Amino acid sequence: MQLTPLQQDAVTELINIAFSRAAASLSDLTKCRVDLDVPEISVHKIGEVAVSVGRFVRGDVATVHQVFTGPVAGDAFLLLNFDGAVHLVELLTDTPTAKGTLGAAAREVVTEVGNILMNACLGVFGNLLQVRFSFSVPKLSLEDLGFMVQSLVVSDDALQHAMVVGARFRMRESEVTGCLVLVLGIASFELFLKAVEDWAEKSLAGDQT
Amino acid sequence: MTKVLVVDDSNLARRSTRKILETAGHEVVEAEDGLRALERYYLDKPDVVVLDVTMKDMDGIEVLKRLRDLDKAAKVVMVTADVQTSTRDMAAASGACGFVVKPVHAKSLLETIQNVLTEESPCN
Repeated sequence: MQLTPLQQDAVTELINIAFSRAAASLSDLTKCRVDLDVPEISVHKIGEVAVSVGRFVRGDVATVHQVFTGPVAGDAFLLLNFDGAVHLVELLTDTPTAKGTLGAAAREVVTEVGNILMNACLGVFGNLLQVRFSFSVPKLSLEDLGFMVQSLVVSDDALQHAMVVGARFRMRESEVTGCLVLVLGIASFELFLKAVEDWAEKSLAGDQT
Repeated sequence: MTKVLVVDDSNLARRSTRKILETAGHEVVEAEDGLRALERYYLDKPDVVVLDVTMKDMDGIEVLKRLRDLDKAAKVVMVTADVQTSTRDMAAASGACGFVVKPVHAKSLLETIQNVLTEESPCN
């Protein structure tokens, strides 16, 4: 699916706002500054998502998955590079993890971080686009990216699309790379883009940017 | 008429900020990245700069520092969705005169610019 220039522009700005808020939430949690690069956005058919995701995370990844429902419904996946997830846990708990592994307690921390980040991000979408989302309980998986990408195909619906948002951020001089993947059916995706266009037109009318 | 330089890598953000400013009677010039911002500042000599923080290649804080190197009296309002206190502190320490959170509301932006122009918001 090809976005129009207005849609691409509006989605980019929307994501920029949402990720900045998510980074601020992360900064509050970890009590350290988060420097965020400009997020990179692309839209793919679900079967073509692997290459795009692979630009940001490789090998073992920690993935937090949440289902969201509402007028726009789908699946949100936050993928973090494994070392980045370990680093986050160490920052949050102020203790080194055992040999760079994620035990049960550490997994709970990553799950909660994922929950907060995705809610911060999708919450901004909801507020700006005036769309109400409800979220399922987040679930964490730790596996190789290849297996993870296969599980992104959450149904047999060939018309599913994925919006991949890649972001790099640095905390205490360590780089954490992450990737937010939103998987939407065609009807939800069209509704999402319509809401984005409405928001863009409202912005261009001078109400807000 | 106040001349405002709007610096943002988002075309949408530039266009909508321009709409707010022109509706309020300001003259607007635009730049889509840091280098062009420095060039436009030198050529157009705006009264105030509205500068996005998160941009590719040269971020807004770096642009702010270079603008202030170019002109110690440059009046710069930072615009960002980044609500970290440390970002606001860094901007203030680098010489920003005002700070507006995205999504930008017309009233907030215009009031901040007015305060900057009347020097109610001192710059470092």
